[in-house]
Amino acid sequence: MSVVLALVALVLFPGGLFVIFGSLAFEYADRKLVARFQNRVGPRWFQPLADLVKLLVKEEIVPVGVNRGLFNGLPLAALAASLTAALYVPMAGIAPAWGFRGDLVVTVYLLMMMTLCIGLAGANTQDRFSLIGSTRALTQLFSYEAPFLLALLGPSIAAGTWRISEVNGYAREHIWMIVTQPLGFLVALIGLMGKLELPPFDAPEAETEIVSGALTEYSGRGLAFFHLGRDVELLVGLTLISAFYLGGLGNPLHFILKTLVLLFVTAGLQSLFARLRIDQTVGLWWRAGAVLALVQLLLLIVLKILGVRL
Amino acid sequence: MAQSTLKGIPRALRGALDKVALWSRINSPWLVHFNSGSCNGCDIEILATLAPRYDLERFGVKLQGSPRHADVLICTGPVTRLARERLLRTYEQMPVPKFVVAVGSCSITGGAFHGCYNIVGDIGDVIPVDVYVPGCPPRPEAIIDGVVQLLTKLKGGAPAKAPEADARLGGGS
Repeated sequence: MSVVLALVALVLFPGGLFVIFGSLAFEYADRKLVARFQNRVGPRWFQPLADLVKLLVKEEIVPVGVNRGLFNGLPLAALAASLTAALYVPMAGIAPAWGFRGDLVVTVYLLMMMTLCIGLAGANTQDRFSLIGSTRALTQLFSYEAPFLLALLGPSIAAGTWRISEVNGYAREHIWMIVTQPLGFLVALIGLMGKLELPPFDAPEAETEIVSGALTEYSGRGLAFFHLGRDVELLVGLTLISAFYLGGLGNPLHFILKTLVLLFVTAGLQSLFARLRIDQTVGLWWRAGAVLALVQLLLLIVLKILGVRL
Repeated sequence: MAQSTLKGIPRALRGALDKVALWSRINSPWLVHFNSGSCNGCDIEILATLAPRYDLERFGVKLQGSPRHADVLICTGPVTRLARERLLRTYEQMPVPKFVVAVGSCSITGGAFHGCYNIVGDIGDVIPVDVYVPGCPPRPEAIIDGVVQLLTKLKGGAPAKAPEADARLGGGS
């Protein structure tokens, strides 16, 4: 019986199909919101699905001078990592399918795989645009990753555990952590935007300068997997942040609504700001992001030592 | 094309899959824009077409930076001697199935530049063109109509046959 349940968790919910279609829906919502903010009509509801299918059935060109195994394997690894991360977070407000002590750290690592794979994929090809794109992607990785992790550590220190499900339980029984840890929430949400290379952090794929960054040489299936992986990461990341900072588990409808509010905020930020140069991105994260997250963490630790209940 | 990836699948299923593939292709044409010697008039109109007022994302059209990501090459102007190789290379870097929309009078006959010493000819002399959009420059409505004609052509059956491109440059890679 447990085998059947495990298979359902892997293929239907919360892994597999649910995540894939949910993330396509989130991509649609994101694009539509940005379009409305820009006074446009925006895409139709099936647009992400059509894009995905089209890329899957397109010819895949393997350029000269790449390692074939890496070229084909990296998109798969990226997609697999983000899909695996979906198993450890409470999708749609229902307790995570799997969990163990320290799964928060593993999830953060799995979410990082995506950027790492994009960086390696760019460095694998001989194209100069890919190389610049991958350098920028990896530089950006080093800038936002530490503040993002610190921001997710805040709730877990407050809850006194490294398990995502226990942090969620703690979050449900106390006031929303967006109230008690606003700095951490801000850093986590903007860190997620940096992770997904959304504007204003889209210097790694700036199409006005470097064609489309690290993924320039990818055409068919590889590009489809990278796009899908990024959508899944958007869904997983927003779920994680809303489970940590916006009151933990709960009614699936309420939970999805909360996640959509977060998406609304990120879409607004995307259309508000122009692209930052790569040095500005790094400066922003280390001068503001990391300091804010550290201040938050210090406050938390001091309050915890003093015995104040949050 | 898609057929090669469908080996070993029953015929009935293959037909259904082909339909899905065609549906996705019609609903998600990504563009790459190339100027092979135009006076920039048509390019401004193309950019106006993609801007919020006409908003081609309604039909799934997205402007891509890389020819590897694109399905439709939208090109303007007569082909100059210098631009010929670049146009060919851009065309060959696109993965099949790929389509070409030539925008503006110059891309049809050479227009105002017809007979110039530095002109090879029109776009059709260099790469196979699926749809021509006349005008000097054509209005955004005309360009949208050109893209729609391309999509209806796709829906109607086999797309325009792409002859073997110039072998000298090597295929695609």
